Amino acid sequence: MTPRDPESFIAPGPAASPVGSDRPEHHGLRVRETVSNYPPVDTWDDVMMYDAKAHPRKVEKHYMLVPTTCFNCEAGCGLLAYVDRETKEVVKIEGNPAHPGSRGRNCAKGPATINQTSDPERLLYPMKRVGPRGSAQFERVSWDDAMDDIAGRIRKAIMEERRNEIMYHVGRHGEDGFIERVLLAWGVDGNNTHTNICSAGARFGYTMWGGYDRPSPDHANANVILLLSAHLESGHYFNPHAQRIMDAKVRGGAKLVVVDPRLSNTASHADEWLSPWPGTEAALLLAIASYLLRSNAVDWTYVHRWVNWKTYLEKMHPHLDRNDFEAFKSALNEDYAKYTFEFAAQECRVPEAQVEKVARIVAGCNGKLAAHTWRAASAGNLGGWAVSRALFFLTVLTGSVGQEGGTSPNGWNKFIPHGPNMPGGHDSWNELLWPQEFPMATNELSILLPHFLLEGRGKLDVYFTRVYNPVWTNPDGFSWIEALSREDLVGCHVAMTPTWNETAVWADYVLPFGHSTERHDTQSYEQYAGKWLGFRQPVRRVALEKMGEKIGDTRDANPGEVWEENEFWFELSWRIDPDGALGIRQYFEAPGRPGEKISVDDYYGYVFDNNVPGLPEKAEKEGLTPMEYMRKYGAVEIVNGIYRQDERPLTDVELEGAVADENGVLRKPVNAETQKPLIGEPGAVGIEMDDGSKVAGWLTPSRKLELYSPAMEEFGWGDYATPTYIESHVHHSNIDVNKGEMLLVPTFRLPTLIHTRSGNAKYLNEISNKHPMWMNAKDADRFGLQTGDMVRVTTEIGYFVARIWATEGVRPGVTALSHHMGRWRTTDEAGSRWVTGKVDVGQMEDGRWRLRYKEGIQPFVSDDPDSMRINWKDPGVHQNLAFPVHPDTWSGMHCWHQKVTIERAHDEDKYGDVVVDTARSREVYREWMARTKPGPSASGLRRPMFMMRPVMPQLKAYYVDGVYPGA
Amino acid sequence: MRYGFAIDQRTCIGCHACTVACKTEHDIPVGQFRTWVKYVEKGEFPSTTREMAVLRCNHCTDAPCVKSCPTQALFIRPDGIVDFDNELCIGCKMCMQACPYDAIYIDENTHTAAKCNFCAHRIDQGLEPACVQVCPTESIWMGDIDDPTSGISKFLSIEPVAVRTPEQGTKPNVYYVGADHTVLDPLAAPVKDTYLWAEPDPLRLATAAELPGDPMSMARTTLNTAHPRPWGWKVWTYLWTKSIAAGALLLGALLVLLTADRSSLVTIAAPLVAEVFLAITAILLIWDLKQPKRFLFLLDPRKINRKSWLAIGGIFLGLGAAIGGLWFLAGAADLLGVGDFGTVITVLAWPAIPAAVMVAGYTAFLFGQAEGRDLWQSPVLFWHLQAQAVMVGAGVLFVLSLFLTEDAATQRWLAWAMAAGVIAHLLITAVEFGGKHSTRNAQVAAHSITHGRYKKSFWGGSVLLAIIAGGIAIAVGLGAPIALGVLPAILVQVALVLHERVYVMAAQDPPLS
Repeated sequence: MTPRDPESFIAPGPAASPVGSDRPEHHGLRVRETVSNYPPVDTWDDVMMYDAKAHPRKVEKHYMLVPTTCFNCEAGCGLLAYVDRETKEVVKIEGNPAHPGSRGRNCAKGPATINQTSDPERLLYPMKRVGPRGSAQFERVSWDDAMDDIAGRIRKAIMEERRNEIMYHVGRHGEDGFIERVLLAWGVDGNNTHTNICSAGARFGYTMWGGYDRPSPDHANANVILLLSAHLESGHYFNPHAQRIMDAKVRGGAKLVVVDPRLSNTASHADEWLSPWPGTEAALLLAIASYLLRSNAVDWTYVHRWVNWKTYLEKMHPHLDRNDFEAFKSALNEDYAKYTFEFAAQECRVPEAQVEKVARIVAGCNGKLAAHTWRAASAGNLGGWAVSRALFFLTVLTGSVGQEGGTSPNGWNKFIPHGPNMPGGHDSWNELLWPQEFPMATNELSILLPHFLLEGRGKLDVYFTRVYNPVWTNPDGFSWIEALSREDLVGCHVAMTPTWNETAVWADYVLPFGHSTERHDTQSYEQYAGKWLGFRQPVRRVALEKMGEKIGDTRDANPGEVWEENEFWFELSWRIDPDGALGIRQYFEAPGRPGEKISVDDYYGYVFDNNVPGLPEKAEKEGLTPMEYMRKYGAVEIVNGIYRQDERPLTDVELEGAVADENGVLRKPVNAETQKPLIGEPGAVGIEMDDGSKVAGWLTPSRKLELYSPAMEEFGWGDYATPTYIESHVHHSNIDVNKGEMLLVPTFRLPTLIHTRSGNAKYLNEISNKHPMWMNAKDADRFGLQTGDMVRVTTEIGYFVARIWATEGVRPGVTALSHHMGRWRTTDEAGSRWVTGKVDVGQMEDGRWRLRYKEGIQPFVSDDPDSMRINWKDPGVHQNLAFPVHPDTWSGMHCWHQKVTIERAHDEDKYGDVVVDTARSREVYREWMARTKPGPSASGLRRPMFMMRPVMPQLKAYYVDGVYPGA
Repeated sequence: MRYGFAIDQRTCIGCHACTVACKTEHDIPVGQFRTWVKYVEKGEFPSTTREMAVLRCNHCTDAPCVKSCPTQALFIRPDGIVDFDNELCIGCKMCMQACPYDAIYIDENTHTAAKCNFCAHRIDQGLEPACVQVCPTESIWMGDIDDPTSGISKFLSIEPVAVRTPEQGTKPNVYYVGADHTVLDPLAAPVKDTYLWAEPDPLRLATAAELPGDPMSMARTTLNTAHPRPWGWKVWTYLWTKSIAAGALLLGALLVLLTADRSSLVTIAAPLVAEVFLAITAILLIWDLKQPKRFLFLLDPRKINRKSWLAIGGIFLGLGAAIGGLWFLAGAADLLGVGDFGTVITVLAWPAIPAAVMVAGYTAFLFGQAEGRDLWQSPVLFWHLQAQAVMVGAGVLFVLSLFLTEDAATQRWLAWAMAAGVIAHLLITAVEFGGKHSTRNAQVAAHSITHGRYKKSFWGGSVLLAIIAGGIAIAVGLGAPIALGVLPAILVQVALVLHERVYVMAAQDPPLS
């Protein structure tokens, strides 16, 4: 069998029998003949296991099995912790069969969690800076002292109306809705995320279609799976999606098409692997769209009902009758006729025959096209959002939207329950996060924060970096160092992290928070055509409490003084507002017991009792309270097999008081104080269709899928209002190979690692511990380079020194260097020796910054004998330091791909060197800022109202003058 | 009943979850693996593919590791699982040589052999192995292959399957579906300078240039694990010291039976040389054990595996030591005038011959059980060991003869013995390396000796020195000054150490995974 033979058919393997579908654990508990994958859930409180090490002697050990959810990648897979009943320690982590998304199966990062929790170097106590910022000198501090200091600062900032000086900056969320509650309660518009180094581009393209910012492909039932991503090995949601993609391939004979410039593991499983020039993907997709249109392989019925084609006609072809659907069909066909196979082949530099082949595969999907892009092209390129816009176009044209085997929006398959007494909208707008230059930015302009601070746009009094490592992960890390070093710009930097990282070194407080087995959170992700809610719990605490021990807070059960965030935020909020006078404390009081601090049991007890549909009934059937149910199973499925929610009839409650506007959009009255919903326009509840049905529709202003986006026109981008192709900043016309220029793809990830947070997982590191720079063998020949040769890679702001790998796995002209590696520390105390090299970092005489390794990775003595068995040496190259910020003009997404010049390393170069001129960083920042069209809109609106906006303010805050002009 | 795995590489995404789940289940030291994922890339852009295979113990029906284990630490359970008991393991690494699949390692925590045991402790309580449980794509199937109604049997009956190196005849019970031959064949995809996200171990890098590869696909391994040579200098040194011991015993016995020389060379020195070098041999062997104290297990008839040549060899070494010891005592008593023990020595000389032959030659059977090292599966190895024993034993006795006997005939006799040993050694070497080996593994190893990394040591060291030594020895036999014989006596020692080093190393070099 050749993997890429589209005719190959994989016969299905024999399935194991699942347990009865009436059981909550039926998702993943299975039995093959006499052997099952997990002990029955009802035995989990006391499971006897034979000791693996004593085998073949039968030594019985007893464990309590407590479910939780993984905190490594964002998939939130179920885990099951084995707590030894005798030693009361967590000894092993498996999967949770009762988890509907992951179904008892995991990637390598799930079981490796035990490495992270038992890392001999892990951060166990709160630390306070004692030397200058960045000197990595810390001393232990009590939680009380740290919290009093931090809370005092926040209280003062709030009382002095400096709320915008409080900022929470999150890397891995790993939870839904909790921090939103905290910030809303504080009245602080300070939710910063990592999203614009991640997925803001893809989100923009999806948002423009339907308001929802991400797709939910129903891979398991698809006929064609089209991935512009590496979802069999990384990304959201790797393990849950890989399970279902392979199910579709094996059991359903689905075709898998993968678009990726390099040979990913995912590409290696594809029926068709296309490797277009990065940034040209939209041209490929539009050529497929064009083929669908001209071959009439379009579900016109769907398009007629759910696409805003009348607006399209009106705006694009004003001379045509806006109500003439046939005219629309031919106009659309003509509008996209220029995207021929030949055009795509030339633009993408792939064989024309392959474009046609893929187009035919897509055309044959029969309404079952599961398509996904998330980071990849959308995250690499200027205008990368056009890729997701074009990709969803295919979903729309094939009639696959929301169908079984098609692609739904995430909102249909995700569920966020809130706690008691949810605070309402605030009235501020933080322009450090949502600057006027980027009115349409999908997410906070987090990459620009250091530049904003350094050019005096504002300052921060309390800055939380939470499971986030911007000095390492973000582009232009030296500018981050410059900003974080300035105590006048960043008053107090609090790093909330389970493990040391490069950013924590520039913090004033480093606070240890738990891994997946050491904290509470709820999570829900769109991983299949259903909805589930996962419950993360501190497993040792749960076990100890079940065994009758009294636990004060989660610190009592965690290693050292490692805490969980929920309890921290409860406590911190009380210290900010001890007497309740600021109106904050009320949101952190136990429901029904005013004046008493809320506990995690109170909080989640309320959530599970009241805000999770069907959970109380399921729990009752088991003879459990909802809380007991969630503690026992760690997850609940709310619904399965959910499709076409656009057609969901509105309920009487939704319709009450709603009036249809001239376009049929059903709206309720709103006022200046109305809080904006997370997505969609305030007040809008649905749409009355031409046939009189009143249904939910989409979350766009028109409540339809917007082929033409009036919002883009409103903010000055009418030329980009329809799915289109935008030439990237790294388009091949900008890259002169004769000058040694190449396109660098710096973003690809490995199946075993998670950003910079898996560094202390020894079993992951030993598998992946090197990142040679992929270069096509022909390019290597051209440069006279061989595998292992050192090259200097020059970017716009500096250079780094890497070693190349001459390979056939990447297209010519493109070089690729993986994420994760290039980790460093300045001292042995503040950094993981499993994964970092020791560096000198500082400014040279000419003002340029330089990072240079002093030591590679070496074995070290610790309580774990494995630390002396470290057999990897190469810490890698911290390439992100050498990248300037590239905020995408529309979405604000950082455009990761780099135009670089490759040359053999100079004599003075050492492997891993990074040299950067931050004055150039500032120049490039300004060049990209100059591309923008600042808001507000003509009506004074800061950003399109329907776009997602976390920590939702009141409507008046949406207007630059703070005045809501009325409906 | 016969438990086996079926691994579906069509759906395996190479995520390493099985690797890590196994490691956390068994608390396996960093750098060691019971199961792992190998990646191989083929073809030229854009027709590049990446093939993967999950590699591990094959739970062979005819498991060579079980046969070769001297202490029954490895065993086959009634359900077909090839299991092990680390409390019985002496750490001799014989199983690692016997396994043709790189499946066994010496655990750095326990210092005993370990490998995939099908998570037998889980199976015994009705649970799947950890790797099966964790696999995201349910690509690892397990079950009873003997039961035609089991899921795995049905699966295997409808799919084309492959096993790793079936020519080893071990009857593997791990079946691969959809695995490319270049990833299952350890010789088809040499590493090309680096892995895609790890550093290849030095042995893989060193051997890569000598593997045949797959010219059609240009397959190259881009991820794999390290499998250093289990045996090193102690083993090749042991082959030399043991040869001296066996040669001294054999030639001493022949001198007793064929000549009238009753000097102390014959009555004391020959058995003493045997005893001393057997003692050194024993020290080297015990030293090489990862559980040296457990060498006592080899003396316990209840513990030893009577099919293991490592265990049987111990008996022959003991036998040789016993005969040599008695002989030495008789000679010493004779010398001290306790009595006339000449007859005793003559009587002992008869069993000394077969004992010496087996001391020298049992290693051929032991190496024969090293199913993973095809170079050692040689029909001439037994005779080669005899020739080597004569060659180096004669050399040592010759030097001693200069001091211990005045009988020039004995000295010339020993020179001739040395010459005969050298000629036989060279002839057998010519047979060994002149023809074509029957398996690719052996061909690779032999080629590395004659044309590859070892050629200098081999030709310039072992062969050339032996030729020179042989020539001088013949000259001495023909009447050249006796003292000249010291030269070949020393040269043959060097030649043999070099030969054994090359022979032991090269056979362990071709990758098995």
